Amino acid sequence: MSLADRVMVLRDEVLDTVERGDGDPPGTDVFDAIVRALAAHGETAPGLDLTLHDAIARRLAWGDTEEVLLADADQVVHRLARAVERALRDPLEEMVVLEVAAEVTTAVARIVALAAVGRAQRDRAARSREELAQKRLREALAEQRATLIRFDRG
Amino acid sequence: MSAIVLKTHGMTHVGKVREANEDAMIVDPRWGLYAVLDGMGGAMAGDVASNRARDVIHEYVRAKKKTLEPRALLEAAITAASSAVHGEAQARRDRQGMGTTLVMALFVDDNKAWVAHVGDSRAYLLRDGRLTQLTRDHTVVAELMAQGALSPAEAENHAYKNVLSRNLGAKAEARPDLLELELVAGDRLMLCSDGLYGYASTDAIQYLMGSTDAPEQVSRDLVDLALRGGGGDNVTVIVVEAGAQAVPRATQLLRTSGAVAWWARRQAFLGAARERGLARSPICAVLSPDEAIDIVAGNLAEAIFHDLEKSTGVNVWTYAENLAHGWFDQGGAWAPLAEMLDLLVGAAHAVVVAIAHEDQALALLVETAVQRAFTTAEMAVGGVLAERLRVTEGELIKAHTLVQTSVDESARFQETPTIPFMPAARPVADLASPEVRAHLQAVAQAARGVVGTGRVPARNVIDAIERAALDPVNATGSAIQARELYGVRALEESGVSPLFDALDQGRAAFVTALRRAGGDPQIAVAVMRRVASAQLALAAALAGLVVEGAAPISERLREATRETASLRAEVASNEARLADLERQYATRAAKPSMLPRLPRKPGGPS
Repeated sequence: MSLADRVMVLRDEVLDTVERGDGDPPGTDVFDAIVRALAAHGETAPGLDLTLHDAIARRLAWGDTEEVLLADADQVVHRLARAVERALRDPLEEMVVLEVAAEVTTAVARIVALAAVGRAQRDRAARSREELAQKRLREALAEQRATLIRFDRG
Repeated sequence: MSAIVLKTHGMTHVGKVREANEDAMIVDPRWGLYAVLDGMGGAMAGDVASNRARDVIHEYVRAKKKTLEPRALLEAAITAASSAVHGEAQARRDRQGMGTTLVMALFVDDNKAWVAHVGDSRAYLLRDGRLTQLTRDHTVVAELMAQGALSPAEAENHAYKNVLSRNLGAKAEARPDLLELELVAGDRLMLCSDGLYGYASTDAIQYLMGSTDAPEQVSRDLVDLALRGGGGDNVTVIVVEAGAQAVPRATQLLRTSGAVAWWARRQAFLGAARERGLARSPICAVLSPDEAIDIVAGNLAEAIFHDLEKSTGVNVWTYAENLAHGWFDQGGAWAPLAEMLDLLVGAAHAVVVAIAHEDQALALLVETAVQRAFTTAEMAVGGVLAERLRVTEGELIKAHTLVQTSVDESARFQETPTIPFMPAARPVADLASPEVRAHLQAVAQAARGVVGTGRVPARNVIDAIERAALDPVNATGSAIQARELYGVRALEESGVSPLFDALDQGRAAFVTALRRAGGDPQIAVAVMRRVASAQLALAAALAGLVVEGAAPISERLREATRETASLRAEVASNEARLADLERQYATRAAKPSMLPRLPRKPGGPS
């Protein structure tokens, strides 16, 4: 049984599926990313898990805040650390899990931060469009006011 | 006059732990008086208290039963007993604080009784197979539960679970709870001390109370049950049966035939168990194959026979409990035991099938009895397992408490987030030992060597991780380090990505250095745990700073959107007003005499 398989056994405990139901508890995406990274340990570069990118982007699109995403990741990593401390006999294996968890955590933080940067860029562009529209509206307003004054005088 | 005839029996036992029996009882069918008393107080004073109260109550009832009403009689007798015990306690220093509980039943007719109690000795009534507790314990916890201040779960673990709120002897007067009871044929009333219900489950008590055995046998079985449950206290039981529980003669005959039929096929059962490989079970490893069959299967066959004959389950229960205790004491696992029970069920079923060829009705009876026997066996084994789990749980709680008390409480509850999304500091159960701190510092130094002098951000990350790992409960420290790392940077991908690249490089350097350092794996894991935790805190804080930086941009966009909407509304309003004015002028144009001069637009035709 590989290390990834053994960590997968801890899924219910780490995600607290008894309490939250096993449909899609918060932090599932982070836990799955850790298991994927464990399965491909040594053959992947940090932050290149596109499934994790997609999962986080989807959650942000559904309205979860960055705060919630980071809190979920934090909780999963802490619960996983406690679970492996108890469940894995070999300290070296525990180190591997902790290392991978730290790697995935950084990836989550990076994705969240870059999502915020992307949103900031979109917001900046949108604001420029708004300012342009405001300029045109102000011109139209000035014209309308002039016409109204002529009506009043006439 | 009622036709009910009372059959009674009482039994008391010192238990397996106590040296003296401080329980006392009254079983006096002539006066219809039955009582259980459980004395308390050191230096044999409990024994004195319960015996003294017993004698006073007995005397009082004999003297006054014919002249006093039951309620008044009971109250007076109990007060007299309390006064006597209290007086004796006051008279001798070594008996101060002694007292006793009491539960008593006074029959005023064969089917009418008054039940009185003080303390935590109990009265139960079995009616239509259901056991009901008639008394409510006079303990601090029970009274808090009655007031709704405690839940049953909280009560179970309460420190004052066994502290009595009332007893005989604490004061000169006593305040008993009284209950009038009317018995019907088949009812069984049981009085007992806490040595019974404290060491036996209510289900098991109900099971034994519901058997068709005589009160003598039931009380013996109940005491055995408490002893098997640990026997940690003196145990006293009185069973009062109202009338003979009707057992039709035909059923009795059938039951006997079932037992005889089963016993006649005992060898067939042993043969079936042998065929199914009973001797190969790990539980029988120390026995020869013949011994395994004779002892394990033979004793079970005998237990089923006796239970079938007497319509009880005590023998199988005892058999299964002994088996489970023996196996678990050797460190045996659950699975072999379950497999062995399954195997024996199969063997018993083979016997039932053989009987069915000769007599269907008899086979049905034996099958029911066998099924009940194995259900009882499983319950008994489950009980042993549960008991062991409770002991293990108790040991774990004790160990956990020891660990908890060694942790500084002020460090465990720190809720001072100072930066967006920075989680509050978590409790750290393993405060860093000097070895872990020293190893962490050495690894950090080596990690700086791994990244070299060129990559300043990665070195800064290593410094930050080291500081956070050495002081993991200080969330503010991590936040400040994150701000230092963040510095002043453009809120663009080219500004933010290098930050997280540095974080990855710093962590990778740490891990590389940690692996190279070798040493005690436990210390290495402790260091890794701290590094991972510190990295998590830093990463979350950095992401929080980026999101915090992006927030004003979104806010300014919202402001701009609001302003645009306001301008649009104003333009729309002016449009409407102009259209209205143009309509007015167009109407006037139809009347030339009133035609005003239209205002000319600037740049329009003259």
